Amino acid sequence: MASATDSRYGQKESSDQNFDYMFKILIIGNSSVGKTSFLFRYADDSFTPAFVSTVGIDFKVKTIYRNDKRIKLQIWDTAGQERYRTITTAYYRGAMGFILMYDITNEESFNAVQDWSTQIKTYSWDNAQVLLVGNKCDMEDERVVSSERGRQLADHLGFEFFEASAKDNINVKQTFERLVDVICEKMSESLDTADPAVTGAKQGPQLTDQQAPPHQDCAC
Amino acid sequence: MARDVNLNSLQELEREVILQVLYRDQAVQNIEEERIRKLKTHLQHLRWKGAKSVSPEYKEKSCARCQRELGLLLNRGAVCKGCSHRVCSECRVFLRKTSAWKCTVCFEDRNVKIKTGDWFFEERAKKFPAEGKHGTAGAKLLQSYQELSKISVVPPTPPPLSESQCSSSSNRLQELGQFKGFNKSVENLFLSVTTHMKKLSKSQNDMTSDKQLRATGPRQCASRTERRSQSDTAINVTTRASMPDILKPLNQESPKRLTSPVLKQEDLSSKPTPSALFSGGLRHASLISINSTCTEMGNFDNANVTGEIEFALRYCFQTCSLEICIKACKNLAYGEEKKKKCNPYVKTYLLPDRSSQGKRKTGVQKNTVDPTFQETLKYQVEPSQLGTRWLQVSVWHLGTLTRRVFLGEVTIPLATWDFEDSTTQCFCWYPLRAKAEKLEDSILPSNGELAVRAKLVFPAGPRKLQEAQEAFLPGTDRPSPNGQLCFVVLGAKNLPVRSDGTLNSFVKGCLTLPDQHKLKLKSPVAKKQACPQWKHSFVFNGVSPSQLRQSSLELTVWDQAIFGVNDRLLGEARLGSKEDGAAGEDSGSPSERQWQKVLSSPNLWTDMTLILH
Repeated sequence: MASATDSRYGQKESSDQNFDYMFKILIIGNSSVGKTSFLFRYADDSFTPAFVSTVGIDFKVKTIYRNDKRIKLQIWDTAGQERYRTITTAYYRGAMGFILMYDITNEESFNAVQDWSTQIKTYSWDNAQVLLVGNKCDMEDERVVSSERGRQLADHLGFEFFEASAKDNINVKQTFERLVDVICEKMSESLDTADPAVTGAKQGPQLTDQQAPPHQDCAC
Repeated sequence: MARDVNLNSLQELEREVILQVLYRDQAVQNIEEERIRKLKTHLQHLRWKGAKSVSPEYKEKSCARCQRELGLLLNRGAVCKGCSHRVCSECRVFLRKTSAWKCTVCFEDRNVKIKTGDWFFEERAKKFPAEGKHGTAGAKLLQSYQELSKISVVPPTPPPLSESQCSSSSNRLQELGQFKGFNKSVENLFLSVTTHMKKLSKSQNDMTSDKQLRATGPRQCASRTERRSQSDTAINVTTRASMPDILKPLNQESPKRLTSPVLKQEDLSSKPTPSALFSGGLRHASLISINSTCTEMGNFDNANVTGEIEFALRYCFQTCSLEICIKACKNLAYGEEKKKKCNPYVKTYLLPDRSSQGKRKTGVQKNTVDPTFQETLKYQVEPSQLGTRWLQVSVWHLGTLTRRVFLGEVTIPLATWDFEDSTTQCFCWYPLRAKAEKLEDSILPSNGELAVRAKLVFPAGPRKLQEAQEAFLPGTDRPSPNGQLCFVVLGAKNLPVRSDGTLNSFVKGCLTLPDQHKLKLKSPVAKKQACPQWKHSFVFNGVSPSQLRQSSLELTVWDQAIFGVNDRLLGEARLGSKEDGAAGEDSGSPSERQWQKVLSSPNLWTDMTLILH
């Protein structure tokens, strides 16, 4: 049972201080929609078809290079089972972004998306960035949730939408990178609009990526 | 699945798995904190470098960053929109693809906010003002687990170097502390998490409780409840928003507040460097100091105390800082006698505050019984507070495993210390002593006074007064269960306050009836008052006079923790217990006499002053 949280992975990376900043991301969704597989595919590029239920919580660390910055991602994988809900919701507050996942072959998991979204609204900060992901898109034969319904729901909830497959490695990397980008956008927004007294006047869209110009020191 | 076959072992497994994750997270967080600390130090240096003198002749003529002179016509400089300082053209950083710029410090400030994730914490604070920045869910879970299991399964964190800084999160916490609204859902969430963890760890507790008892020894068992509450406070205080209290005086001169206008900071930083900033020894960590949790719980070994410690005490009335310069120790006992090993460090508290905020530690010296520390530990204490404090300096051995070894201590009442006399500021050798058996009793005479007023009320009013009084006469134990004991808690003074001189205190009243039935009541919280005035009445209904004579009333005063679960006990007073009657002596004490008076004169208010212990 414990193999889902094998701690060998990511140890080396987690002790690395060589990055510019750290984002915390939470993956949520019903049990067995493929959250752990999705994370394993992204972090380790591995896939195991066997279903191993996650115990409570787990995380992986991955450092990526994006917009000229090294960003360390601490990606939390949560148990979908109701019995761990108190533990998993405790992690919502520390997360800057969410991947809300359902299984395109499982109607129930799709119907639960609304509830998960409410959970995010309740427990997370107001600007939480959420990507809705319909996983297992490789299983076209068993599909019960059409892409269109997924997209409509995402629009309705104000989330971005991806269909992905951890098994066939479809859209996995893209999902995470998009989430990182939207968090970065939110970051610029909050820095450049929230506090003009400190950060200067509103800078407009030019600042939406975080590329710093070469640092110019004083001549003294 | 196997779940139904062996629920117990599965839960144990679950707990183990989750703990593994929590420890891994802890490691990640530690690295992250270290990184953030470095970033902030860097920013601070940049600030200081450019710190502008307040004298007016500098004001318009030089660059605020590099201090280069600005000309009247050429190179006149321009005002940074962030900090409103005039800076030269060299000290500007142009934002990408725009003509907008910031001065080097404002730019770096923004950078640091990005890199430390402060932008996120600031945004989040809008929704959860009570949430501490570093209190991650993992740290809380781990903490609640450790509280419950009471076993230190984690390798000990070595005491931090005394050269550390006060994290700006404390500033944030102070800000947050000013938010009036307390987010109830935060509390609920936390409680539910704790409960959940409790469930998970329960099976483990059941199975290993025997082992625990053996491991901790009889001494600790006997005093577990009492010690537990202390350690809880220590934990609680570290991670919750009660944090800012000790830091308040420090913050006021700290130039570290990132969110305040830079202009103000620089004026401050150009003052003589607030010495407390980097040597205050208050290292902020998201994790509780497991060491002190253990040691405060009595979970440590004792060596045969020998040797002396040399230190000097200074108090600066201007900055309100108490400095303890720890110079050296000699002839210490070996922490591990058999291996002739000793890695000593020194820890101080300003009693009665035993919270982890009030703790200062030196670095650890390796393999010596004559260590030289040359470290200064600092406290920010109001002069008025000094008289109520005892400085406790203790020496500890840091073992390889979880155990600490107590090597001796010195306790100095600061009330009698003459801080203005320069001779008392010199270094002095003090012999180390063993732990006082019951410190609170031997040294600390009281924890303040509680003013109350009480009366017995009978519903029938004056007409039945006579009858009611009869009820008190010996041998006329007629039951009249409709009696009412009214108790007004007026106020308290001389309480062991936090170092900023305030408390969020409240009173609990517990009336234990002869059948051991307990009636409990609680007053509202008096916020930010050193001498709280609650004027709150407790009404214990349905008690008969005869019952009351055999009952005991226990009044306890507490300092409320933000989350309300780990309040700090400030003192307690007991009235009319049977034990006291048996002891005979106590019945002669003033409060006991007053209590008797309450019982014997119904419907009349009696004022009492109770000494809190």
